[in-house]
Amino acid sequence: MATALLILHGLTAVALLGAITHQALAAWAPSRARRRSFFGRFRAVQGAAFANAIAALYAAVALLGAIVYLYFKIDIQPFLERDRHWHALSFFELKEDFAAIGLSLLPAYWVCWRRPAREPSQMRAILTAILAIIVWWSFLVGHVLNDIMGFGS
Amino acid sequence: MPVSVFRRFAFTYGTAFAIFYVFARAQGLALVTVYPSFGIVLVGMHHSRDVADPAMEFLAPEIWWYGWMGSAAIGAYAVGLVAVLLPERLCRWFWPGWVWVAPVIAMIGCIYLTLPWFRL
Repeated sequence: MATALLILHGLTAVALLGAITHQALAAWAPSRARRRSFFGRFRAVQGAAFANAIAALYAAVALLGAIVYLYFKIDIQPFLERDRHWHALSFFELKEDFAAIGLSLLPAYWVCWRRPAREPSQMRAILTAILAIIVWWSFLVGHVLNDIMGFGS
Repeated sequence: MPVSVFRRFAFTYGTAFAIFYVFARAQGLALVTVYPSFGIVLVGMHHSRDVADPAMEFLAPEIWWYGWMGSAAIGAYAVGLVAVLLPERLCRWFWPGWVWVAPVIAMIGCIYLTLPWFRL
């Protein structure tokens, strides 16, 4: 059960990572010229079209993470402490904190993208960047922690 | 709910949550403590070593994260509600930029609070 939830958590996180990266690049470096390169096409998306999906995916990933955390605390953390992986555990602590702060930003983020004409583009871009940093950090830390213990260990 | 009212709530909620979260984390103000190995939820912040031998603490790992989020969410919800109920003219002093400044400061605060882990 825990493994299935962890895989689902990871897959949802991959979808979120892709969507938020597209949107963040579109907000910070909008493509105005002819889109010939991969990078040009990558950032040429309509950012507003991603907002609902990103908010829903973030909430889903956070919920799944909160459930998987129960198993992590019992089955994984004691072994990481035994093997003195203090840096990995501290990065994970930060992941928890950042994820919680990001979750609280979702309503403001959603409002900014819901009314793009009324909200300053700078505000939209900054909130998206903060969420993108949180998502990338959480993804990488989760990946590293998973690698330490290994699948099925 | 009109969008402008929801906007006011969303911006104050995001700002207040970040402040309350880092404060709850620093002061140990968890709404609940969860003991996943026993399936127990206790109100307030508790340490395993308070009820068990410190050497046996690993048998009863506690989770405060849900409690910190709960404390911050309740505080932020209250602030958001006040912001919604206030007249529009009184809310103009609120700089919308706080909605991203406060989380950034809170994240830096969380890094500071995590520093002891790096010294282990």
